[in-house]
Amino acid sequence: MSMLFFYALIGVGLFTLGLLALVVQPHLLQKILALNVMGSGVFLLLVALGGRSQPVVDVVPQAMVITGIVVAVSATAMALTLMLNLSRSSPGAQLPEDQSADS
Amino acid sequence: MEAVGLWQSAFDLMLGFSLFGLAWRMLFCADLFKSIVLFITFGLLMAIAWVRLEAPDVALAEATIGAGLTGALLMSAFAKLRTLDNSLKSGQPLLPRPRLHVINFWIALLFTVLLTGGLAYAVLSLPSHSPGLSDAVMSQLDSSGVTHPVTAVLLNFRGYDTLLEMAVLLLSIQSVWSMAGMSDAGEVHTSPVLNVLIQLLSPVLILVSAYLLWVGAHAPGGAFQAGSILGAAGVLLVLSGRPLFNLKKSWLIRLMLVAGPAAFIALATLTLINEGQLLKYPVANAANYILLLETLATVSIGTTLLALFVGSQTEAVQQDQSHQ
Amino acid sequence: MGAQLIQVDWAVVLIMLPLSAAMLGFLLPGMARNIGLLAALLILFTVVGLGWQLTQTGVYSHVAGGWLAPLGIQLHADGFSLLMLATSAIVGVAVSIYSTGYFKAADDQRFWPTWLLLWAALNALFLAADVFNLYVTLELLGLSAVTLASLTGSKDSVSAAMRYLLSTLLGSLAFLLGIGLLYHQYGSVDIAILSERVNDSTVSWAALGLITAGLALKTALFPFHFWLPPAHASAPAPVSALLSALVVKASFYILLRLWLGLFDFQQDSTVANMLGILGATAVLWGSIQALRQIRLKMLVAYSTVAQIGYLFLAFPLAQTGGNRVWYAVAYLMLSHALAKAAMFLVAGNMMLFGGHDRIVNLDRVVQRLPVTVAAFGLAGVSIMGLPPSGGFIAKWLLLEAALAQGHWGIAGIMMLGGILAAAYVFKVLGYAFIPSPVPHQAVSVPARMQWMALLLATLAIMAGFVAQPLMQLIGIGALFDSTGSMP
Repeated sequence: MSMLFFYALIGVGLFTLGLLALVVQPHLLQKILALNVMGSGVFLLLVALGGRSQPVVDVVPQAMVITGIVVAVSATAMALTLMLNLSRSSPGAQLPEDQSADS
Repeated sequence: MEAVGLWQSAFDLMLGFSLFGLAWRMLFCADLFKSIVLFITFGLLMAIAWVRLEAPDVALAEATIGAGLTGALLMSAFAKLRTLDNSLKSGQPLLPRPRLHVINFWIALLFTVLLTGGLAYAVLSLPSHSPGLSDAVMSQLDSSGVTHPVTAVLLNFRGYDTLLEMAVLLLSIQSVWSMAGMSDAGEVHTSPVLNVLIQLLSPVLILVSAYLLWVGAHAPGGAFQAGSILGAAGVLLVLSGRPLFNLKKSWLIRLMLVAGPAAFIALATLTLINEGQLLKYPVANAANYILLLETLATVSIGTTLLALFVGSQTEAVQQDQSHQ
Repeated sequence: MGAQLIQVDWAVVLIMLPLSAAMLGFLLPGMARNIGLLAALLILFTVVGLGWQLTQTGVYSHVAGGWLAPLGIQLHADGFSLLMLATSAIVGVAVSIYSTGYFKAADDQRFWPTWLLLWAALNALFLAADVFNLYVTLELLGLSAVTLASLTGSKDSVSAAMRYLLSTLLGSLAFLLGIGLLYHQYGSVDIAILSERVNDSTVSWAALGLITAGLALKTALFPFHFWLPPAHASAPAPVSALLSALVVKASFYILLRLWLGLFDFQQDSTVANMLGILGATAVLWGSIQALRQIRLKMLVAYSTVAQIGYLFLAFPLAQTGGNRVWYAVAYLMLSHALAKAAMFLVAGNMMLFGGHDRIVNLDRVVQRLPVTVAAFGLAGVSIMGLPPSGGFIAKWLLLEAALAQGHWGIAGIMMLGGILAAAYVFKVLGYAFIPSPVPHQAVSVPARMQWMALLLATLAIMAGFVAQPLMQLIGIGALFDSTGSMP
């Protein structure tokens, strides 16, 4: 039992760690990775806590997470395409407000 | 018995902390390439965690999609980025330091710590035992047409979610195609060794995919896992420089991309008319309907993932076209 | 005949229709435009069918897959859903027709399938009665909105779309974590079941925080509005209209539904007051920023930030103001959608006409595009909240509630917001009348683009005349009446 909660807490940790990186890291690739890590955190929490229904694990969260993984890869592909488009017009693959200009 | 439990607990602890540590290194390291490698490692460890959590279906999806295809997408984007951006020479410290003011950084950190504490407190307040929907799933499993509960949820009990999910996949390729340019040929690096390997591997992967599709009715597997393996086989073929069909213009490819969502819509309409409810399968035919949906969904998922990989490799639209 | 028509599952058709059309348009790019236009008209027709059904038989619900909740997914349509579906249909049809003049044929295959998927996401979202299903529709909505926002391919639009994408994904993840916690505490994702089970617990509060924050980010409530003005301003004009009129409303719609259904456990008004304060700040900040803009589309986008603020002013008022406040909010969602879509279409016309949207160089546009300028003026009346517009009815109801409850601060903010709105609307109109020092080449604007803008603006005004029947329609299912005390 307690291990399930341990995994759920790791999920929380991944979510907030990803959030921190999303906010402070300037490079878009890092931001995209950060969102993926946040997603993994949420998924971990969902599935881990589904294990509390012993003896049979609750599979509904598992189905939700499979859905979520597919959404995540779709979003990542879009984000990477946008990032490449952006870095063609401005170097560094960063959003304007993160650029170390003298503004 | 107790010793086994102890070892398992130790393993779980190690796995959990490794996941967190890897994520930390991945997100706060100054070398993008290293970050991507760490991300793929992270995905593989996640797959192990899913196995430990008795979620083999998620493990399969994570390993193929989460680590595998996302990793391939990241790698290919990174390679493109390096040709675009002179500041990204490998081996050098690549990234600018966070531009945030030190104070702001500490505020963000403080906020994160507080949020973590609050969420952890909420998680720990959950009851230690909760049936969730497992009883409901198990009691209706017999009339779902399949014996594997995850497939029953995805294709039957919550099939409408999966219908919308297929729409998300279609959207993703529509989106990448509309954002990236018109050409199809990505630059391809081939090597003889890779070629031989791929020749050996692709038929195996296609077989694995077919197996996963078939086995999904009663064991871990199913359309998403089978489709992602199929997509991976396609990616390998592209990497080996196979003269791939013109992905974008080919009508056949478009048909393959649409097959899955279209099958869902068609079946939803059919069942709406015949049964009065969308995606309500008559019990006698449920197994066949699900197999049909899964087969077409596998084709679409595999093609979509392949097309996303190829599409992200192409040149982007440079200039404003739509707007006068 | 009538007996059979009343049985038709209009609501389900509203989801399947745009989805099928999107797929056909994807398969046959050359015919995407015609397929899309046909689908748009059919959707409008279907919404009328649903509306008729609801007035005859009351709330509609559908058991997807034949599995009752909590195992399966339910669809649900009441008056509030109908209002949003109808708003989407009206704005959607007008924007669809407008877009045939705006986009070249070559862009059709980039615009139409994505727009139809977005429409499907909106309809599915307004019909959802299951929080995980809402998550899937939110993702479909967000990703299609980002794709449309990036359509011009200019540097501005790509960086705006990127920021939009990161924000919308973050919002979805917070939402997903929130519903995940709810599921693990209460064992269901069905809203009706959850609303019976959710009580004042740690998990409920955590979910309330995550869901509210995620949806506020997607709705661009101050200070989460940072992504909105660049994304809405740099998108193609018909897309800006869709984003401002419909997409931000969709996440607010979810927030309102969950607030009324799930989060009524909290009797303490702290969260409501906080949302109200953010809303008030948004009204002021958005209006002042709108006034300061030099480009028309940025002005209209900041005006959206301000108008979203009004929606959030309702939260503290509803604590004692009860149902009337929520009716006012629903009315504001409708009239803002119509007026703001009209304004963005106007901006598109002016950009096409002069090749730019710098307000000071509008150059006597009133004489050359009278229909377009008239549309801006009428839409402006509704945005300012002057009678007899739909905006007036909504804001009057809100103001009345604020005064009745002695919320002088909110009342003051609302009036100040109105004055500022008048200032930025008249700023545009003023420059439309005077010649620009720099003459420029004028491009002719297709008539249908002008008339569609005027149509929407006129509807925003007309909404002021049909308050009574509209309120009755919104009241089907009595979502708002069951909460709060009567005034």
